[in-house]
Amino acid sequence: MLAEVRRIEPMHAGPEDGQLVTMTLGGNGEAFATLVERYDRAVYHLAYRTLHDVEEARDATQEAFFKAYRSLRTFKPGAKFSTWIFAIAYHACCDRLNRRKRYSNEELPDRADPAPGPEREAIALDEARRLRAAIDALPEKYRTVITLYHLQGKQYDEIAEVLGLPMGTVKTHLFRAKEHLRKLLAAEEVTE
Amino acid sequence: MRYDSDDELDRLLFALPLEEPPEDLRAAILTATVYRPSPIFKPWEIAMLGALAAVVVWLLGVIVLGGGTLFIDTVEAIGRRGLLALSNYTTLGWIAAGGATAIWLSIFTGFQPYAKGANAQRR
Repeated sequence: MLAEVRRIEPMHAGPEDGQLVTMTLGGNGEAFATLVERYDRAVYHLAYRTLHDVEEARDATQEAFFKAYRSLRTFKPGAKFSTWIFAIAYHACCDRLNRRKRYSNEELPDRADPAPGPEREAIALDEARRLRAAIDALPEKYRTVITLYHLQGKQYDEIAEVLGLPMGTVKTHLFRAKEHLRKLLAAEEVTE
Repeated sequence: MRYDSDDELDRLLFALPLEEPPEDLRAAILTATVYRPSPIFKPWEIAMLGALAAVVVWLLGVIVLGGGTLFIDTVEAIGRRGLLALSNYTTLGWIAAGGATAIWLSIFTGFQPYAKGANAQRR
């Protein structure tokens, strides 16, 4: 079923995430390196989609893994590592957004990608590109929920855990986010 | 393309590729975590060094502020007590007994720090 597709479902061979955590705690550094290999891209994706800034997303990703490594002992056995690391990354992003808002009186401008060159112009009509632009145009709370939906699939409980919100709120945000997306995509289609 | 159906939007969302992270991100994470060089000093070593530095500062302070008399008096007192202890035959006897035991034990346990040098000379 399409709806059951999940971005971060462990399709990788080798030990489970929980085992890797245990191995890391036992002094095996390579085990943590494997965890980084599995999740750095997804965490970066979440950070970039939330912060809209390459450097800040990079720093937030690094910070998330650093915090995770330092507090690995608090990781509950049986919990999902992806949910845990996403929650840490999300909080790191929120801290950065709050700091940004504190130092800026104006509403933050959307940090879009640099001005499109001829090549970018050529791929501007690409479906993925348009969807990305539409996601970027969403309000922050909807953008995050749709990004996590993209990463974790229909695991509402896990999305709720990452965001620290009730599941009902997550479902409502997701519903509204999708509505927004539809409108944005439809509007873009009309302008084309 | 129409995006009215949830499935169509989901298909688009799930087909969206993840953002490409900067090339050096993974290396930076690993350098900050598992491959982080261990600190030169352990916490207890830092505490010891700190205590030592504090004693040195205190001694310097005593010498500078007290014109050296308090420091000299203290050193004299320590020296006097040391000499007093060494002039006692019982203490000297215990020191000799301890030294002899140490040498005797080193012969029978194989711990002979000078053996290596002696062997080298023999060769």
